[in-house]
Amino acid sequence: MKPLRIPVEHTTLANGLRVVASPDRSAPVVTVGVYYQIGFRLEPRGRSGFAHLFEHMMFQGSANAGKMEHIRLINSSGGLLNGTTNYDITNYFESVPSNALERVLWLEADRMRALKVDDENLRNQRDVVKEEVRVNVMNQPYGGFPWLDLPPVAFRNWPNAHNFYGDFVDLDAATLADVQHFFRTYYAPNNAVLLMLGDLDPAEAFTFAKRYFEDIPIQPPPPRADVTEPVQTEERRGTVPEKFGPLPALAIGCTAPPRTSDDWYAATILERVLHGGRSGRVYRELVLEKQIALETDGSYDALDTNGPTQMVTRIFHRPEYTSDATIAAFDSVIKDVQEKGISAEELDAVKVKFRADYYSMLEGGMGSYMPRFGLMHYLACFTLFDGDPKRINTVLDGFLAVTPAQAQAVAKKYFVPHNRAIVVRSPLKEGSEKSNGGAR
Amino acid sequence: MTPATSSTTPAVMAHSTAAPALGPERPVAWPKRKSVTLANGLEVVLAESHAFPKITAQLFIRSGNAATVHIAPGLPDLTARVIRTGTATRSSREIEENLRRMGADAGSSAGADTSTISISGLAEFSGGLFELLADLARNASFSEDQFERERRQKIEGLRVERTTPGFLANERMRRVLFGDHRYAVIAPTEEQVAAYRRDELQHFYQHHYTPSNALLLVVGDFANEQMLAQIEKAFGTWKGSRPEMLISAAPPEALGRQVHLVQLPGAVQTQVLVGNLAITRRDPDWFRTVLANSIYGGAFHSRLVMNIREQKGYTYSPRSGITALHQHGFFTVHAAVRNEVTAATLTEMFYEMDRMRALPVTPEELESAQSYLTGVFSLGVATQDGVLVQLSTVYLDRLPEDYLETYREKILALTADDILLAARRHFDSANAQIVLVGDRDQIFDQATLFGPVTEYTADGHKP
Repeated sequence: MKPLRIPVEHTTLANGLRVVASPDRSAPVVTVGVYYQIGFRLEPRGRSGFAHLFEHMMFQGSANAGKMEHIRLINSSGGLLNGTTNYDITNYFESVPSNALERVLWLEADRMRALKVDDENLRNQRDVVKEEVRVNVMNQPYGGFPWLDLPPVAFRNWPNAHNFYGDFVDLDAATLADVQHFFRTYYAPNNAVLLMLGDLDPAEAFTFAKRYFEDIPIQPPPPRADVTEPVQTEERRGTVPEKFGPLPALAIGCTAPPRTSDDWYAATILERVLHGGRSGRVYRELVLEKQIALETDGSYDALDTNGPTQMVTRIFHRPEYTSDATIAAFDSVIKDVQEKGISAEELDAVKVKFRADYYSMLEGGMGSYMPRFGLMHYLACFTLFDGDPKRINTVLDGFLAVTPAQAQAVAKKYFVPHNRAIVVRSPLKEGSEKSNGGAR
Repeated sequence: MTPATSSTTPAVMAHSTAAPALGPERPVAWPKRKSVTLANGLEVVLAESHAFPKITAQLFIRSGNAATVHIAPGLPDLTARVIRTGTATRSSREIEENLRRMGADAGSSAGADTSTISISGLAEFSGGLFELLADLARNASFSEDQFERERRQKIEGLRVERTTPGFLANERMRRVLFGDHRYAVIAPTEEQVAAYRRDELQHFYQHHYTPSNALLLVVGDFANEQMLAQIEKAFGTWKGSRPEMLISAAPPEALGRQVHLVQLPGAVQTQVLVGNLAITRRDPDWFRTVLANSIYGGAFHSRLVMNIREQKGYTYSPRSGITALHQHGFFTVHAAVRNEVTAATLTEMFYEMDRMRALPVTPEELESAQSYLTGVFSLGVATQDGVLVQLSTVYLDRLPEDYLETYREKILALTADDILLAARRHFDSANAQIVLVGDRDQIFDQATLFGPVTEYTADGHKP
């Protein structure tokens, strides 16, 4: 096994902005990101969807770069840009030929310093966001399943349990004053990290960072929402009608152990035992062997969340099986792990795959068009959540050290009814094969 | 309302208020590559990419769904899917466990022109990865059980796709643009899939999965020479001859705008798709049309996106593009919009198209679009997947060997006149076909403003 050593250098500017550089001269391109420690989990109550709407506003103009200028300047420098809103972070990133590094930093600094937007911009982006919600959720089969369906069923604390994309009534209620207040509160240099990766010299990159960012005024530390959940004592269930799709589907979410705890490493590996591709136990048993399901997959944002997070199984199943019969089949997969454990051989194979997936994520992570997106993303999370970007080179060790006994122990502790929530997506239209309401 | 500029601080004054100029460009270093044809006719292209200890390989079979469209639409796609589920010496479960032990993912499917099997995994297991890839390409077993299971998955997948607006729009557009040509069908009906026989899949596999009908692209952390030896070992004894060339009817000539409305009751948006036949990558107009497209609607800062998203807020992600299949290409522009602005969106799409045809672009727009395309092209060499995509463009379409190396200079040599010419020839607004997928009651009246309307149900019938 060839160990991977990613060069990482980091510093903190006088205004509290953390800066991370990782050189890689293999292609003449750089990827730059600014990550703010604010996500939809932390948005103000009564303003569901605001963190995401706000992310759109960051492209609408800053002190010296008006509406459309951010996009035009990056595109016409030969680059691509985007932003995403996540549970605990919001990011803005660009991949450009390396001769545009300084220009990208100037732009990111300009919008960290002062947002310059008006009511017209807000109206415009509110419309755009509504179309985004329509195209991704309301007008697609299985739209928002299960990332929007599970939280309100699984959680009791508003930050974890609300509609992250936003109710339209809340989006309509957002004002320009809200926008500027949110900006001042959360978009401060001391609540962010700047990442510069690729074809660059770290010393020069730090000089640029100082030049453009260091005199942006520091702000009082932003308030941190209390995201703790009350103790769960029984299984939670919900149903969401499926307007377009013909297949019944369900999602089972088990709340994961806290970030960086011993159980977290083991649960992350166990989740891959269950969900890793077609050799994952759930797909193998439900799709390939028992053929109850037509498709299954799993997701768990272990590395890039910093609060209550679920390990989620999605199952699209044949209409002649009921939800309960499908859940029972899932339960038998879990019971098998809980009772018989996992062989060292199986666990070793899962770890090899885990390592390969980690490399792939670091290299790309957003398809082939945003080089090193994953490296940027993880460096940001390790900096903001754990205070140490160099974990990029050591975090694998913790996952690769998980033992069969530890994996079995977390299966018993976390994959239990009183730690999970289930959401059923039931088609409004008649299923493809005649549903007789009974399990086979 | 308070002007948002009130927070201007002295720090702003101290700063440059203009974006810094671009520094000198660093040259793009093309990955070291090697292209050889083995004695059995298999074309192999290797490229080194050392940043991560991984390898990505894709085996292209130069026969896709177009090959069987008149006898069994979609059969090549199911063939590719069943291949992955067993060989003479490996069960489905063994294949999946082999993959996992090598840190690998695999995929297999077919498009119009090609069938593909792809594998990516850790470079330290490259020998095993090639063995497995060759086993899938040569010794698939097509067990009855796996065939039936994949067939059922395919049918259920089609049922979901035919509730998906984007899919329905693409499906109808291909029928409209291609008529009796083999490219007209992008997916089979459920009944057609139900009628496939296992021996038909095997027959397709035997006749089309042959070395002289295949192209193997490999990108990764290895030395080309060493990797070639492993490939020789895994594929050198593969035998088979090239299948017959396809004959296809000419696509119909479009005469005037027509509207094709696919009904999706209850839809809260209209999927708008406008298109016309255009060109392939081998056409002399290719580069100028690509550049014209990027100014029209192919990039975030393009005219169409700025108009219907950033000014009017009709839609989230409108885009235009040229799809270049092997025999023909077509130009399309799409947007998902709220129902009440369906006609307004079409008006803007055509307005921007006509403006591209009538007036030269400004020097700033030209330069900006040239930088965009050449820069994004450079981003493509920074990942293994990106290199693989670029190589597949060159070698699948049999473009000149120096296509990648000369792409940037060809784009930079274009003028505003080139763009005008390309738009006039290939953005055929007068004869463009309009596909709308949505709730008929919400959009029918708007649809009729743009031409005669033909209606379809989601499964392609006339209601």
